[in-house]
Amino acid sequence: MNSTVKYALALLALAAAVAPIYWLVTISIKRDIDQFAVPPLWIHFQPTVRHYVESFRGGNLARSLWNSTFVASLSTLLAMLLGVPAAYGLERLRWPRDWSRKIGFWILSTRMLPPIATIVPLFLMLRRAGLLNSRPGLILVYTAFNLPFVVWMMQGFFREIPRELEEAAMMDGDSRLGTLMRVVLPVAKPGLAATVVFCLIVAWNEFLFALILTQTTTSTTLPVAIASRVTQYEIRWGAMSAAGIVAMIPVLVFAGLAQRYLVRGMSLGAVKG
Amino acid sequence: MIRTLRRSWPGVPWVVPTVVLLLALTIYPLVYSVKVSFTGPAGFSLANYARLLQDRLFLQAMAQTLLYTVVALAIEFALGFALALLVDSLGRGRAFVRAGLLAPMLLPPVVVAIIWRLIYNPQFGVLNGTLRNLGIHTSALTWASGERGALASVILVDVWEWTPFLFLLLSAGLQALPQEPLEAARMDGASPWQVFRDIVLPLLKPVMTLVILLRTMDLLRIFDQIFILTQGGPGFATETVSLYIYRTAFRFFNFGYASAMSFLALGLTIVFARSLMRLMRVSR
Repeated sequence: MNSTVKYALALLALAAAVAPIYWLVTISIKRDIDQFAVPPLWIHFQPTVRHYVESFRGGNLARSLWNSTFVASLSTLLAMLLGVPAAYGLERLRWPRDWSRKIGFWILSTRMLPPIATIVPLFLMLRRAGLLNSRPGLILVYTAFNLPFVVWMMQGFFREIPRELEEAAMMDGDSRLGTLMRVVLPVAKPGLAATVVFCLIVAWNEFLFALILTQTTTSTTLPVAIASRVTQYEIRWGAMSAAGIVAMIPVLVFAGLAQRYLVRGMSLGAVKG
Repeated sequence: MIRTLRRSWPGVPWVVPTVVLLLALTIYPLVYSVKVSFTGPAGFSLANYARLLQDRLFLQAMAQTLLYTVVALAIEFALGFALALLVDSLGRGRAFVRAGLLAPMLLPPVVVAIIWRLIYNPQFGVLNGTLRNLGIHTSALTWASGERGALASVILVDVWEWTPFLFLLLSAGLQALPQEPLEAARMDGASPWQVFRDIVLPLLKPVMTLVILLRTMDLLRIFDQIFILTQGGPGFATETVSLYIYRTAFRFFNFGYASAMSFLALGLTIVFARSLMRLMRVSR
């Protein structure tokens, strides 16, 4: 294939991937009368920020934006606090026979469960515990959801660190925990950062758990708040698109930051990238 | 006792918090829902499972989920592979193309659904707007809101959203291929097609199997985009297993029956998960 054809095909694919997103952006900054114009207006229209102002007025969207931020950050923090030591313990401490591998695979296997299989009992459990429609309940669920990912990813990163580093520190009388904190984690910083970013993205994007476990406007997250405005009868396209853009931007920024580790994160580390 | 535990199992305290949380929030719920699924009005009962076999709607949701999975996977794989080969062979601008192609899979599913509502809307959507501008009659083109085209339309959304995932992993696989066998074959006068078929494909097999399995597991549980785009409708045209379970549990509050259905779905997923794990063990 000659290279002109190649570039033409690549541009076509690029357009197919990006044009729909660009269209969302334009709808979010178009006046109502321009939104449905035929032929569709791709470039020549008068931009407005009205829809952004409108979608934040009333406070529900701002509230769910804060809920999303709060839930995503705290659940990520918790998953890291629990998962990083577990990964280190499985990777570097002595285990009889192949127990470290067995436990590692069991942990990973909990991630393979389809959410719909555990959502009914989780709903009943949280309801009984009084944690339904509350952020702590959702934080717990997201922590459990991200935990296997943290353990699996961090095990991979720890494996790449030469053992000699730790042995030297322990020779100097450092405890295991001290070695992890002072020697291993600083070296594993890029891996830690990438893992944090992926947990944040997953929690930020998650829909099904939030839909069922947080049904009140005060407790729900951004995706559910947006979806609940998308009714079939009365759609305020501009406001809906503006809210979508707000939900989308943090994810694209985060993904950009973790670009180097995208392959590893998306394949649970099975394909080294 | 504690002494021997500390000596031969020094790693235990490190993993206990993780294991406890996962037991409480994934394993216990599973066991709990087994109980719920076997409970009738008068104690132990198989009624939920008996009903499963006669539920036409469940079977239809199952059939549609499988159809959705197979068709979406086939298209995404073919397109993703073609794109990986194409972009891999580009010179300048490769990084730029790559970054742009990856965008759809990173978006929150709710945003994907909004985007496609803006596109598909029969009266005001940009798709019919463009077609009308080209002089095409669009009154019959209802996309996701017509019974006939709805399933194909939601599959197209999936293709748009997830082809980038296959592209990403397959191009990573291509870049990680060892160069020596490729060069050796070329030196021996093998044609590009022969090199591809006899060397690239076999070497890429682990990655291909992995992405297929990861994707299949995700497709079988598809929920978000369809829920926001069509709610399973019109009628029952885009109902999937996850949507039907959701409806049974949280619209009709039949938790027992929903649990029974989710076990069947789980069984299906486990079959795939097991092969996936075996594969990951091999590839390490």
